[in-house]
Amino acid sequence: MANVIEVKNLTKEYKELRAVDDLSFEVRQGEILGLLGPNGSGKSTTINCILSLLNFQKGEIQIFGQEMKPDAYSIKRDIGVVFQDVAVFEELTVYENLNYFCGLYVQDKETRETYIDEAIALVGLEEFRKFRPKKLSGGLLRRLNIACGIAHKPRLIFLDEPTVAVDPQSRNNILDGIKMLRDRGATIVYTTHYMEEVEMICDRVMILDKGKVLAQGSCDELKKLAKIEEKVTVEVAKLQEAILEKIRALKHVEEVKYEDGVLSVVYRAGTNNLVKLIDFLETEAISYSKIYSERPTLNDVFLELTGKELRD
Amino acid sequence: MFVHNFQYMFKVLMRNRMLIFWTFAFPLILGTFFNMAFSNIESSEKFDVIDIAVVDNEEFNNNVNLKNALAALGDSKSKEQMFDIQYVTEAKAKKLLEEDKIAGYLLFQGEKQKIVVAESGINETIFKSVVEEITQTVDVVNAVAQNEIKQQMEEGNLQGMDAATAEKIGREVLERVQGQEVSIKNISRKNLSYTMIEFYTLIAMTCLYGGIIGMTAMNQNLANMSSNGKRVAMTPSNKGTVVLSSVCAGYVIQLIGIVLLFLYTIFIIKVDYGKELPFIVLLALVGCLAGLSMGIAIGALVKAGEGAKIGIIIAVTMLGCFLSGMMGITMKYVIDKNVPLVNQLNPAGMITDGFYSLYYYGAGSRYLFDVISLLIFSAVLLLLSFGNLRRVKYDSI
Repeated sequence: MANVIEVKNLTKEYKELRAVDDLSFEVRQGEILGLLGPNGSGKSTTINCILSLLNFQKGEIQIFGQEMKPDAYSIKRDIGVVFQDVAVFEELTVYENLNYFCGLYVQDKETRETYIDEAIALVGLEEFRKFRPKKLSGGLLRRLNIACGIAHKPRLIFLDEPTVAVDPQSRNNILDGIKMLRDRGATIVYTTHYMEEVEMICDRVMILDKGKVLAQGSCDELKKLAKIEEKVTVEVAKLQEAILEKIRALKHVEEVKYEDGVLSVVYRAGTNNLVKLIDFLETEAISYSKIYSERPTLNDVFLELTGKELRD
Repeated sequence: MFVHNFQYMFKVLMRNRMLIFWTFAFPLILGTFFNMAFSNIESSEKFDVIDIAVVDNEEFNNNVNLKNALAALGDSKSKEQMFDIQYVTEAKAKKLLEEDKIAGYLLFQGEKQKIVVAESGINETIFKSVVEEITQTVDVVNAVAQNEIKQQMEEGNLQGMDAATAEKIGREVLERVQGQEVSIKNISRKNLSYTMIEFYTLIAMTCLYGGIIGMTAMNQNLANMSSNGKRVAMTPSNKGTVVLSSVCAGYVIQLIGIVLLFLYTIFIIKVDYGKELPFIVLLALVGCLAGLSMGIAIGALVKAGEGAKIGIIIAVTMLGCFLSGMMGITMKYVIDKNVPLVNQLNPAGMITDGFYSLYYYGAGSRYLFDVISLLIFSAVLLLLSFGNLRRVKYDSI
């Protein structure tokens, strides 16, 4: 699969802060690459450098096999960008916003009309063509923001946290639309804080922190990086400290917690851990109700890799 | 691309209520207030001849042209009498001024002339302006006469010159002076009006408030200033074309604003701009360009929020208008007298000075100087702004 974006040794510094540190990666044609990272990890800076909006100290960036420059209009024609901040004109209607931004790419009026209709349909704004942005809800506004970025049918799309402050219904609509764009052949770079979104739509994920790639791969590949294997949760009415000590002594147990009648046991390895725990509880004549097992999530991997301390 | 961007920027700017208020509505409201406030003053006040004194010394008597010009303006039989002149000694002139019996006096010391006034006011301003204009005219007459005589000497015509030749030279000098449109005939008080001066500063203010349009147009196109600017920067459009079309849309809106102001003041509140209206309009157009350039510069060079930039433009405009006489016409004289550089760099000062020049002397050299100053002011700001716009990448956004 050909690479649409190739980034080599990218370094961007703000005075004494190194925001992007010798970063190298590629984005393959037709994939959705998820960029994950805590606040200040360098995601947006990386995207702005790729888009040639920001100066950088070192590195090479190629898009569609050509060097990306501010006046690389032939490359820009095939790029769509949906920024984190909503970028539309308050004074123009939904249709006018789309017509304005699409008109900066597509000169032919008839073609433009078709593209605009398709973009409006994709984000479900058919009933709001004559609405001004102020009259739109947060979710509809985000959809308009996306439509303005993709109406000209770009081959490469950057989506920088497009679902921030959006209700679940709108979010699902947006995510379905993004998958549809990928299915139509677009390559997508997607940044977000929401792990479930990444799991839902991304073919590949790159976890960034302090301007460096900590890990990359598919969601399943990343989950294998987790130090824990399984977490079993059991509702138990009453449990004595001596029993908890016995559980801690069981094979592969990493961590045991008992709070408000809920027992959580984290295993670092092993098979059939759930069955073994049930056997132990029955042997000890401890009655229990609900019991279930969870595999490690992307969130667990993310927190393990980037740490649990609070970020700005 | 140019037309597409122009059309949409025009729509965007015209639908921006805050911008329309400051550039369209606010000047009309202020104009209405001016009319209400000053029309009564205007009707209740008649122009009085200004009492002045001239120190009657040898230097003054040697300056025949100035002496004659002042005599004409002090002629009590003339309908155009402007001054009541007393020819006195310096000590007497000082005494008259101390007793507040004259607005000021003119003193010649060597080749230099000195205008002494006790306070700043409209009469003092007129006195000073008229004497300066006469001096300027006399200098031109002398320069043309010297050139003419020199030319005649080179041609050998002055040897054995008869009365007819001398008369011919005199006539040619006069024609040349008139040809340069520098004549004291324009110094007339027939249109003198407080209201007019206030309306001139109002036009200056409207021109400069156009800066808000320029700044808004800039903000929408710069990636380091707005989200929309980032989106525009990512399109395959030439930055120069986008910026230029936006600025043109802004200028057209500004012109609509100034035309509205003229129509409103001429037809609704009946302001008489006199025969100089075409020159007033020309100055307003150049003033609009200066205002727009100021806004573009603030938009392109100042990294702050849109609200802060609007605040800067309003503050600069109001301060400029204050210094050029909007809140009291004596301020202009005070500034011109004590720190002339301020109003030479102040766009509102240049615009109002242009209007004053038209008002007192017609479309002469001083008017032209103000128009050229405004064009230079605009060009410098536009060069600085576009120099900054040439940057294609930013250090931070």
